[in-house]
Amino acid sequence: MAFISTGYDPGKPMENRITDIGPRDYNEFYPPVIANNKGKWSHHEILEPGVLVHVGESGDEVYTVRVGGCRLMSTSHINEICDIADKHCDGYVRFTTRNNIEFMVDSKDKVEPLKNDLASRKFPGGSLKFPIGGTGAGITNIVHTQGWIHCHTPATDASGTVKVTMDALFDDFQQMKMPAQLRVSMACCLNMCGAVHCSDIAILGYHRKPPMLDHEYLDKVCEIPLAVSACPTAAIKPAKVTLPNGTEVKSVEVKSERCMYCGNCYTMCPSMPLADTEGDGIVLMAGGKVSNRISDPKFSKVVVAFLPNEMPRWPSMTEAIKKIVNAYSNGANKYERLGDWAERIGWEKFFSACELDFTHHLIDDFRQQAYMSWRQSTQFKF
Amino acid sequence: MSSDLLNDKEAAQKAVVDWLEKKAGSKTKFYIKDFYKIFPDDKPREIKKVVNKMVENEILEFWSSGSTTMYGLKGAGIQHSSEGEE
Amino acid sequence: MAKHETPLLDELESGPWPSFVSDLKQQAEVRAKNEKGVEFQIPQDCVDDLLGVLELSYKHGRTHWKHGGIVGVFGYGGGVIGRYCDQPKLFPGVEHFHTMRVNQPCGKYYSTEYLRKLTDLWDFRGSGVTNMHGATGDIILLGTTTPQLEEVFWTLTHDFNQDLGGSGSNLRTPADCLGQSRCEYACYDTSALCHFLTNEYQDELHRPAFPYKFKFKFDGCPNCCVASIARSDMSFIGTWKDDIRIDQDAVNKYVENDPAYPANAGAHKGKDWGPFDIEKEVTGLCPTGCMKFENKKLTIDNANCTRCMHCINVMPRALKVGKETGLSILCGAKAPILDGAQMGSLLVPFIEVNPDNDYEEITEVIENVWDWWMEEGKNRERLGELIMRQGFQKLLEVTGIEAMPQHVAYPRTNPYIFWKEDEVTGGWERDVEEYRKHHLR
Repeated sequence: MAFISTGYDPGKPMENRITDIGPRDYNEFYPPVIANNKGKWSHHEILEPGVLVHVGESGDEVYTVRVGGCRLMSTSHINEICDIADKHCDGYVRFTTRNNIEFMVDSKDKVEPLKNDLASRKFPGGSLKFPIGGTGAGITNIVHTQGWIHCHTPATDASGTVKVTMDALFDDFQQMKMPAQLRVSMACCLNMCGAVHCSDIAILGYHRKPPMLDHEYLDKVCEIPLAVSACPTAAIKPAKVTLPNGTEVKSVEVKSERCMYCGNCYTMCPSMPLADTEGDGIVLMAGGKVSNRISDPKFSKVVVAFLPNEMPRWPSMTEAIKKIVNAYSNGANKYERLGDWAERIGWEKFFSACELDFTHHLIDDFRQQAYMSWRQSTQFKF
Repeated sequence: MSSDLLNDKEAAQKAVVDWLEKKAGSKTKFYIKDFYKIFPDDKPREIKKVVNKMVENEILEFWSSGSTTMYGLKGAGIQHSSEGEE
Repeated sequence: MAKHETPLLDELESGPWPSFVSDLKQQAEVRAKNEKGVEFQIPQDCVDDLLGVLELSYKHGRTHWKHGGIVGVFGYGGGVIGRYCDQPKLFPGVEHFHTMRVNQPCGKYYSTEYLRKLTDLWDFRGSGVTNMHGATGDIILLGTTTPQLEEVFWTLTHDFNQDLGGSGSNLRTPADCLGQSRCEYACYDTSALCHFLTNEYQDELHRPAFPYKFKFKFDGCPNCCVASIARSDMSFIGTWKDDIRIDQDAVNKYVENDPAYPANAGAHKGKDWGPFDIEKEVTGLCPTGCMKFENKKLTIDNANCTRCMHCINVMPRALKVGKETGLSILCGAKAPILDGAQMGSLLVPFIEVNPDNDYEEITEVIENVWDWWMEEGKNRERLGELIMRQGFQKLLEVTGIEAMPQHVAYPRTNPYIFWKEDEVTGGWERDVEEYRKHHLR
């Protein structure tokens, strides 16, 4: 494996350096039918799950076939997407905000061959490479974070929990029989680098143990003031610690009851790991949305305080999610989002409808906003 | 309008280095806001320009937590070895 | 033959949803065979080792990655996230496995020519594993070694005309919905504005100037498909000022259940919800009750419409957004860490989107907000938290925007107004002797 240089000289980093050029111009990547009709679209229709037509004022049509994609994707898979796009779509393809892939063609007769091609491709393990769906009143792809594939503070895996959840909800990815769209999101720790706090259903990885302290090494591999200042709740302070062998070392102490398990200290200091087999697991939240449609956008609420990590397929988690989806699907009115349904029937009825236990952990006690969520009324349902 | 100190490129850079060296005993990574103290009369935007120029001149270097970025004297601190980079 | 046994991950190959495990295995095999004759610049078996370390995490229920903060490309304070494996002896192929964020094109359209160049580069200089795309919007190139970072950056900038995205205390890679490119609801050209501002603020995107991260997102209409209102410090949401355009003939086609006019653009086709009922499904669900359907005619009291999009979503062939379009700016959205989640708060109800003057009205608001936040924001304080700490009134003051009832859901419920001295007639300096002439001690 000989090192092949582009011409970059580490001794002269600024020589011939190009910076600040930004992204590629999107205009270069529009298929012709998109470029020609931009800003002049008349209307659209979802013809069947995963297939849309957009009609221009000119009468032009673009047919889109949407397929589910894994956010974690290999170049082999991207190359296969390119093969399909070259064969059917004149060499253009698009990705959606929710990790779906959209293949667009400019006439109706090109749709069936494209669909057949996509549906025929499977991985050797049996899963579909390009499941068609993710439109309308159904469940579309899950947006998520890295998890155990690449992150240093996750409390669960992301790709795995997403895979098993989408397997469990797969019928609703390929159908449109829900009262409204249902958006599921996943973040693998409370920092939520994928913001899941406004999703119909949110899967959140959660730690429950403060960091361990590797006293012998802490001062050697970390700058203690940085570890101290990394803590958002001021739970860490410098300390002198005597090791079992009698040596006194500089280290830190953590006020455990103040720790919110965010892992920011571990980011700064590798001698403060917090991952734990029993401590870590899943929180489920529900009832959020970002659309302004009918009702205001709203935050998701915690509906299951903790579920253990059950590798590799997290059965307790998928079962709880299925219960929420089924109760909503059976109970909500047409156009009603999950959170709107829960508010209409009352959260006390949400828990019975979903067969979920209500526990003391679900009552907010975090800072001043907690008060807003308690019931200040005599109106409630038995 | 920037202060005389900030306008004098060499003096400004020296002020930053001196300040960092004074702090080096306890920590080696700082937020951009920490540099505001060196130039109390200047706008954050102008201070940022000077500090980033020092990165380009290989006097300072970045350290990123992923969510925030900090500045330090190039090569200072123990991050390089604990990260397995020379 | 796989390098590592992965019995737990193998369980994730079954089921209908695309299996990332199958995909990684296919990638490991492609690298092992190397039919293209790639001169791999990082270990050929890195994907085998990635599967191996992931299997170990499935066994332990714990991650095996460590953070690295020192790596990056020269002069940029973001765009690269350092990662090291905590079991390098077992998995040497992923000992150093850094992430690069590549600024995606607006709307996420691609030519296959471009994508193939990118995959060739990443096979050559990286693991060949990506995220399409990361949560913020970037193309994520997952896994390479430190010496390759500059080489990848060089090829991206010199040969692909392509820059990195943001991370750390930078402006993060802005992201948009596909907007007018393929959506009739879009009230402005989200991609044009997103692209312009991304280029305008390259310095802020690459060189840390801020107390913490800062995100822009662009939604073409209040449906908010990129969730700007929930996850961007400044959210730009398309809206309109004039009347919803009504095609009465088309309205009646919906009412008559014409099959070419399915309700909600066909989104509910999978279940028999009964015949379309305009009163139940549209006028009755209108949050302001500003619509009526009488004598085959739909009327909208536009002055009382709050542009929630419901009626337009239900009858897209009959109702169109108005013609006097622009956008609303909302500020301060963020995820719950630390003081709780915040939704964006409305700062500018309506602003013109004018590319001809380089979106001057918009950049003025942005820069005023930044100046304030850079000056006053504490380390790691998001804009939303600064607004909470110093008050929404302060935000109005620094942006020079007049207070109006649109700014609030309801007025304050306490009278504890901290009056400024110049707001009170005569100021606060008073003569106690004068007072005592009429009030005995």
